[in-house]
Amino acid sequence: MPARNNKQWNAAPNLELGEWVDSRIYSDEDIFEEELEKIWKKSWIPLCHESELPEPYDFRTAILAREPIIIVRGPDKKIRAFLNVCPHRGMAIERRPAGSFAPAQPSGNPKHMTCMFHAWQFDMKGNCVDIPREKEGYQDRLDKSSQGLRALRCEVKYGGFVWVCLDDQTPFNVESWTAGAMDCIKDSLDEEPLEIIHYHRAIIDCNYKLWHDTNSEFYHDYMHYHNRITGFDDGYFKRKCSAFDNGHVNVGTFTVNYEEYEVAEDRGKLTFPHLPPDNWYMVDMFPGINFNLRGSVVRFDLMTPLSANQVMIEFRGFGLKSDSAEDRAQRIHHHNTIWGPMGRNLHEDLVGIAGQGVTMMPKSETRRILHGRHEGLYIHDEVGMRHFYDVWGKWMDRLPSDPMQKYKQGKVVGPDMPPAKGLSVFPGKTAS
Amino acid sequence: MSWRKICAVSDIPENSLEKFETDGIEILIANYGEGFRAFPPRCPHMDEPLCESGMLFDGLLTCSKHLWQWDMKTGEIAGMAEKDLLMYDIKLENSDIHVYIENALVYEDDEEAEEEDEEDFFNAD
Repeated sequence: MPARNNKQWNAAPNLELGEWVDSRIYSDEDIFEEELEKIWKKSWIPLCHESELPEPYDFRTAILAREPIIIVRGPDKKIRAFLNVCPHRGMAIERRPAGSFAPAQPSGNPKHMTCMFHAWQFDMKGNCVDIPREKEGYQDRLDKSSQGLRALRCEVKYGGFVWVCLDDQTPFNVESWTAGAMDCIKDSLDEEPLEIIHYHRAIIDCNYKLWHDTNSEFYHDYMHYHNRITGFDDGYFKRKCSAFDNGHVNVGTFTVNYEEYEVAEDRGKLTFPHLPPDNWYMVDMFPGINFNLRGSVVRFDLMTPLSANQVMIEFRGFGLKSDSAEDRAQRIHHHNTIWGPMGRNLHEDLVGIAGQGVTMMPKSETRRILHGRHEGLYIHDEVGMRHFYDVWGKWMDRLPSDPMQKYKQGKVVGPDMPPAKGLSVFPGKTAS
Repeated sequence: MSWRKICAVSDIPENSLEKFETDGIEILIANYGEGFRAFPPRCPHMDEPLCESGMLFDGLLTCSKHLWQWDMKTGEIAGMAEKDLLMYDIKLENSDIHVYIENALVYEDDEEAEEEDEEDFFNAD
């Protein structure tokens, strides 16, 4: 087709509803704020892994939908999550990313969370246990027993990930939230304790969903030099994409031929439990989480949307806690050759979404983003994105291809696959 | 366990606290001028290590974190403290300090609320 004038450029593509989206869903600041309220504050999000806080009194802080969160391990070893907010004057109680409350601190006592502002103190169950000069200041009008922290729903599930939900009234627990999408890797993650072996993060000027899109389709192989020339056999293109309730998708396994990889070796020996040698599963969880079990290592991406045009992506890698030093070094090597900051793929993926971010800034002209590939529901099919945006549309009650209109269902899936079972339970609504 | 020699009198200057360990049990010894006291190393209020937070002057031990105080002469509560300091028996022999240790003295933690049922908790008014 020849180049287009403005009117032609802005016309709807000749595809069916559901096969493209309007770029305002990636750039509009009001839509972004609404997503935090309607989606991120309603979803179960795995914010960290239990091996990041292994000992009693260890903690980890995080942000979820702009809410500061602290996750702590109590003396009873149980992990609990709270808003990291002092009930007194709204100070952030803890500002370090991770650490331990066990030792005494300059502004706090051992084994307590202490707000450094006015020294209110809390135990690992969120009880307020000390308000300095409580009687003198409040007489009998306010008691510390009424000033506990805001506890959040929290579950440790699927190999030790710490899932948090800001919605007290969520109709889901983690298992029903994941709706079967994790079944393909569940046994591998749960067989024995995992341990974090890698962490880095990237802050990219683009909308968070663009990263999720990249994790949900595989034909950006064209961007990956190494992928183009090595490693894939016919099985690669026959990996099935499956849609699950609540917007999740997974990608079925195949056997990676690592001997074809440059600077990589066969990973069979260190393959995770219950996984055939060198197999590879991937799970994309709504609204922005990715689990990637590739033979000997697990990669876990967590997105924290910072603004309509900025996302923080945290990349974690996991091995088995029981690893020998030698096996651990090998796993780290396997992780980094593919997914490290200078690995085969990851930086190229980030270049891709950074380029999208440049063209889809707030107030940028509207563009139509195509998700219309049908390729038998295998990995070059864009069913993952179509499914995601169908659920997104329901939760937001907006039409992804024209977000100023109300949701209606478009062509989500390919001809040989019915819509994901149910698609029916989401907060406050029941679809027909 | 029994009487154990912990240190020499001259090891602890007047108005100071020193921490010692015997068989894995940590104790603090305070020289308050007119005598010595031996007690566990943590403040019974919020577990603060008293060897760092404790100040000793005029017979008064003060935890500088929240100003709980104990009278070292009588061993009793002074000022804002709400819990007694647990004490070990102590005696002086040949310029050495001996402390009677049966078991480590441990403060009972405040009772924490029973774990509530999650659904009751998150749906409560």
